Amino acid sequence: MTLQLLFDALSLGGIYAVAALGIALIFGVMKLVNFAHGQFIAFAVFALIVPSTDAVAVMGLGAAPAPILVPAILLVGAALAVLAEIFVFRPLRNASPVALMVASFALGVVIQNLLLVGYGGRPKALSLWPELGSPVQIAGASVPLLQVIVIGAVLAVLAALALMLRHTRIGLEMRAAAEDFGMARLLGVRANAVISGAFALSGALAAAVALVLVAQTGVADVRMGGQIMLVAFIATVVGGMGSLGGAVAAGFALGAASVALQALLPAEARPFRDAFLYALVILVLLLRPQGLFAAASAKPRV
Amino acid sequence: MPKLGVFDLSVRYGKLTALRDVSFHVAEGARLFISGPNGAGKSSLLGAIAGEVRAAHGRIEMDGDILSGRVPEAIARRGLSMVPEGRRIFRALSVQENLMVGVGLRRDRSSVPDDLATIYEAFPILGDRRHTNAGALSGGQQQMLAIGRALMTNPKLMLVDEPSLGLAPKVVDEVYERLCALQALRGLTLVIVEQSSARAARVGGRMIVLRGGRIVADGDAAAFAEHDLLKEAYFGEGAAA
Repeated sequence: MTLQLLFDALSLGGIYAVAALGIALIFGVMKLVNFAHGQFIAFAVFALIVPSTDAVAVMGLGAAPAPILVPAILLVGAALAVLAEIFVFRPLRNASPVALMVASFALGVVIQNLLLVGYGGRPKALSLWPELGSPVQIAGASVPLLQVIVIGAVLAVLAALALMLRHTRIGLEMRAAAEDFGMARLLGVRANAVISGAFALSGALAAAVALVLVAQTGVADVRMGGQIMLVAFIATVVGGMGSLGGAVAAGFALGAASVALQALLPAEARPFRDAFLYALVILVLLLRPQGLFAAASAKPRV
Repeated sequence: MPKLGVFDLSVRYGKLTALRDVSFHVAEGARLFISGPNGAGKSSLLGAIAGEVRAAHGRIEMDGDILSGRVPEAIARRGLSMVPEGRRIFRALSVQENLMVGVGLRRDRSSVPDDLATIYEAFPILGDRRHTNAGALSGGQQQMLAIGRALMTNPKLMLVDEPSLGLAPKVVDEVYERLCALQALRGLTLVIVEQSSARAARVGGRMIVLRGGRIVADGDAAAFAEHDLLKEAYFGEGAAA
């Protein structure tokens, strides 16, 4: 029972953590809260199926074997994010942060409506990797194989990102730019390369979340990115805006708190679980308004 | 051809004019000090040359190439490097990572390890603390790091904004000594913002004095210190050209 809860907490928290990282990465270099991130996730979900307004989903890219499907969908997410950067955010780079934020809202609405046109508004059932639903026995507990894979994938993504930030040139440039973009540019760091790189990573992370969501829920819904975007955004705020480690930690914490509340609340209070969860968030922010892990700096972007 | 040429440069922030019609040039391998009271436009001048501050009008040239209008990273790639006001080191990065940020623009990557060794030789404390977070360094060490970081781009022209600010006089001596040694070693052209004419005279070089966004005096740093011309320039008692 408790082991099952642990796996629930880790897999849910892991999804929140990866989604929050996608937001924190862009915030780190551009001081932009990208509210279109949820629609990036939804776009990657629908990229799996053939566009049509029929109720039945026909797998397109989703029918490909995993070794092709996974990199391809990550690439779709990255490409969408880079295009958004070039056509929406680059022309606005010297605009106020508020203008950028509003632009990201607008971009989200545009993507959502494109999906509505292409796929219709009804949620569609689709089955990605159904064989992963079978349970496996771990230390006496029965855990869905998918959950184990999700946790493993999340840890792999986090490790790969950490290694990239620490040991590659673009990673070093991103960390420098997150702290003081102007100074990084004075040292020859190309603003466009760093920002495009951050968007590409963020888009790939959105696509990874999309894959996990589809595999877990078996549903493609135009609105599915919104809910997770909200939680992920809260995680970045609780973690301390711009702190990547903070976003990950807060993502896991929100997942764990959510699972714990679900298990511990009396049955009649469970429908109000989210109210309790967000009350906790408010409490944390009252105690630490700068977030649990304040960022190294919050200098204005470029 | 001068290494750096500035022609009729003006910088404005809204209605405030920080620099008006400033012109000067610096010969290759030379050392130029810029002095003047707070708010005279010294940092704006360096910022405009490095591309961080937009010029309202005028022209900046390096080796005859026009720099004005280019983005900072493009100017850095032409061989200009800056030790900015307030040092602006990357506090969350290690000392060595700070030094490596500017290496990305170099075509001669193979000489990077040698250059790193040179920096550690000039500033042994940086070598000792290469894996420390730069935010944990003292003010003097951060100044050395900012200089080392600027040198790691292998610049031909380096702008240094107030290397002495907030440092003990003994540390300032040390910083200048290393800076001049490295200049000789690399054939660097240096432009240094320095408040103290006595200090500039001791180090040696040409000096221009800014006041109210204009150049009000230009000459040998030693002459300023001797004749106390600087004081006149500051307070505007006849030194203004």
